[in-house]
Order: sequence, then structure tokens, then C-alpha cells
Amino acid sequence: MMSSVPATDKKSKLLVYTIEECPACGQKNKRAFQVGDYITKEAGKCAKCGNTMRISLVYAEPAAKNQVSTTSAPPS
Amino acid sequence: MSTVSSLPLQLGSDVNTLLYMASLGFFVVYGLYATRIQVYFALNDIGRGLTKLKVMKDKARKEAIEYLQNVGKSVGDPTQRVDQFLDYVTIMPVDMDPQGLVGKVDHVVTTSNDRVRAEVGALITQNSPVTVSISENLLEVATSLNQIHKVVRHYYLLGKKTNSYFTLVQLQMLMPMIIQEADALLNAVDSFKVGQPVGDGVGPVVVSRLMVGKEKRVVAKDTVMATTEYKGRKLHVLKAEGPMAYVGQPGVAIKKIIDEMGVKPSAIIMIDAALKLEGEKTGEIAEGVGAAIGGIGVEKFQIEEEATKNKIPLYAILVKQSILEAITVMRKEIAEASDKVVQVLNRVIEEKTKEGDDVLVAGIGNTLGVAQ
Repeated sequence: MMSSVPATDKKSKLLVYTIEECPACGQKNKRAFQVGDYITKEAGKCAKCGNTMRISLVYAEPAAKNQVSTTSAPPS
Repeated sequence: MSTVSSLPLQLGSDVNTLLYMASLGFFVVYGLYATRIQVYFALNDIGRGLTKLKVMKDKARKEAIEYLQNVGKSVGDPTQRVDQFLDYVTIMPVDMDPQGLVGKVDHVVTTSNDRVRAEVGALITQNSPVTVSISENLLEVATSLNQIHKVVRHYYLLGKKTNSYFTLVQLQMLMPMIIQEADALLNAVDSFKVGQPVGDGVGPVVVSRLMVGKEKRVVAKDTVMATTEYKGRKLHVLKAEGPMAYVGQPGVAIKKIIDEMGVKPSAIIMIDAALKLEGEKTGEIAEGVGAAIGGIGVEKFQIEEEATKNKIPLYAILVKQSILEAITVMRKEIAEASDKVVQVLNRVIEEKTKEGDDVLVAGIGNTLGVAQ
């Protein structure tokens, strides 16, 4: 008889990232999540225009596909 | 000579007869003891699952105690208090006479929540709202896992004691789903401990964007609202107060906004996470009508009643996800869906209301890690 209890899942490791966004110019910065981060929290200065950035998203994605910290241009 | 030559044939015939007799014997034995054999396998199977559940509930309990000690800076050792807390029960009101039942359920649940918060607050010295709310959630997870383990163990022992084939087989069939749910709960602990937004928080994420920089006011317990504008419409947006792990009281808040604050919205738009069916993609957006809110039904009842009384259409925007994704750290697909939800929200506002109208937008869900 086959077991109906699932074996331990082979979970893919997830990395959690924080996305900071400049409300003025839309510049985005992706970095590793730090304890204390929350959405709408003020972040550092925008490298492009010097305005104060805000955390716009915190999310997890599988580890293999990503680098720990990247900076991306704002969406057109 | 003839006897000797026929010996192999005679021997072969005996082996066949023996095999035939053995197979007949096997069928007779199996026919008589089939259920006992299956009970044996079912007991083994459930026993393995039960061990897994025990490991999970012990881990959740340990994590809760460690959080209370290390982050909450509890007064003394909280172990004994946590153990008492795990057996804490909320007795639902009698439903023989259903009139006024929702009010009674609301009263009992509110009393229970208030008591839990007060006790957690008294247990820890580092009682910032975020730490208290996370402690509450961790204890809730530990309590749920403890309850699941107890119920499964009860039916396992009952089935074993009474040799009840049907009790054990039913439990055996349910075990994969029970383990899956328990696993999801245990995974939630990691997100809660560090205050990461969970998949269920996608509604609050969308609404928080409309609230940033606006004046906020508390309209119900743990629930805040703000007023903003979109293409000539006045938007009254509300969500639970973040970044605490709250779900708020959107039902009470909507009632207050309409009845006490005198707002007459042309539409109530609710944004929430919805459990996907197997085969559906995470982050898919569905639109519909009706009150998009889960829970035990009190908030849903209040919102439906208020909308019906005032003839206000209810619109729903849902983001699909699994139970595991809903209570663990928000996946990229769900986070990215929040941008699309804003577009859908704008379109619904434009299509269903006109300039000068008031619109109520509610972001429903656990607002851990999502401020406003």
C-alpha cells in the first residue's frame, strides 16, 4: 500500500528582496531584505535625483535566478 | 519401471496442487483478514503523519517561546504561560436560534482577541505594537498546530482502540491535506518572526499606495482610512493598520464611514487575496461582485448588510494564491500583481462611477510589513 503521507518537500530556497522606489523619478533599487523593512518606509537617497526613496515592495523569489543586490532602471 | 518413469510427472502434479492449495488459502485468509491488514497499513501511515505533526507543533511552540524571550524580552520564562495558551479555547455561541447569531459571534471573537492581546502585552516588556502583533500571530500558529495534532491523535487512537476500519481509512485519506496545511502554518512562522509581508497582504499593499502622504485616521479597531482623489472621484481608502500583523475590522469601519461620517459611496471596491484552485496561476487577477473577505463571516455579514441597506454595489478584485503563499512571505508574482490590481482598480472606478462620486476602497488582509 502506498503511503498517503507526503514525504518532506524539496522546497526551493527563497530569497527575500526589498524594492526601494523614488517617488519623484521612479528609480528602483533592489536589495536583500533587512529586519525592520516594511512597505512605505523611507529608504535612502535616490542615486539619480537625490530625493528620499520609499520601500514599495518586499517579495521572495527562488534563489538560483537572482543576485543579492541589483539596481534597475525605472520602467518606461 | 513404469512407476519410476511417471515419478517426475507425479512430483510436478503435487507441486501444482500445493501451489493451488496455498493460493486458495491466501484468498481465504485475505478474505477474512483484509480489513485487519488494511487497518495495519493505515495505522502505520497515520502514525508517520502524526509524528510529523508533533515535530511541527513542537517547533512552532519553541519558536513562539524564543520570540517572546529574545525579541519580546519576556518577564521570566514564558514556557508555562505559552503552554496554557496553546489550550486556550473560544466557545462559539449556540446556533439553535440563529437570530442575532452574527452579533454574538462577533462579541465572543472580539473578547477572545482582546484577551489574547492583553495577555501577550503583559507577558513581554518590549511591547511595541509590531512585537505584540507578531507574538499574537506566532501564538495563534502554535495553537492551530497544537489543535490539529490533538484532533488527528484523537481519531488515530479512537480508530486503533475500536479497530474501526472506516475511521482510520477516512483519516488516512485526509492526512496529505492536513500535513499540507500544517506545513503552510509552520512556514508562516519564518515570515512572521521578521515582519515580512505575506501573500494575504496584497490588498493592503495596493491600498497603502493610495494612502502614502495622506492624513490617516483610525476608524475602527486596528483599521485606518484616508481620503484621496482619482479623476474627479473622492476615494475613501481603508486598510488594517500596518506594519503590524493586523487584519482590522473593515466591516465596522465601512459601517462607520457610511452611517456616522455621512459618506454616501457609489461603489464599494474590495481588494483581497483569494485561494486559487489547482491549475490556476499564482498572481492571476479575478474580478467580480460581492464582499471579498474571508474569516469566520462576521465582517462579510456586516459589509453585505451595510451595502444592501444603502443599495451600494460591491465590487471585488481578487489575487489568486495558494494557502501556503497566502500565509508565507509574499511571492514575486503576487507582489507584481499589485501593479496590475491598481490598473484594474482605476478601470473599475472609471467604469462604475462618475465624476463627483464618492468611492470606498478597502484593502483586505493581514497587513504585516505593510504600513500606510
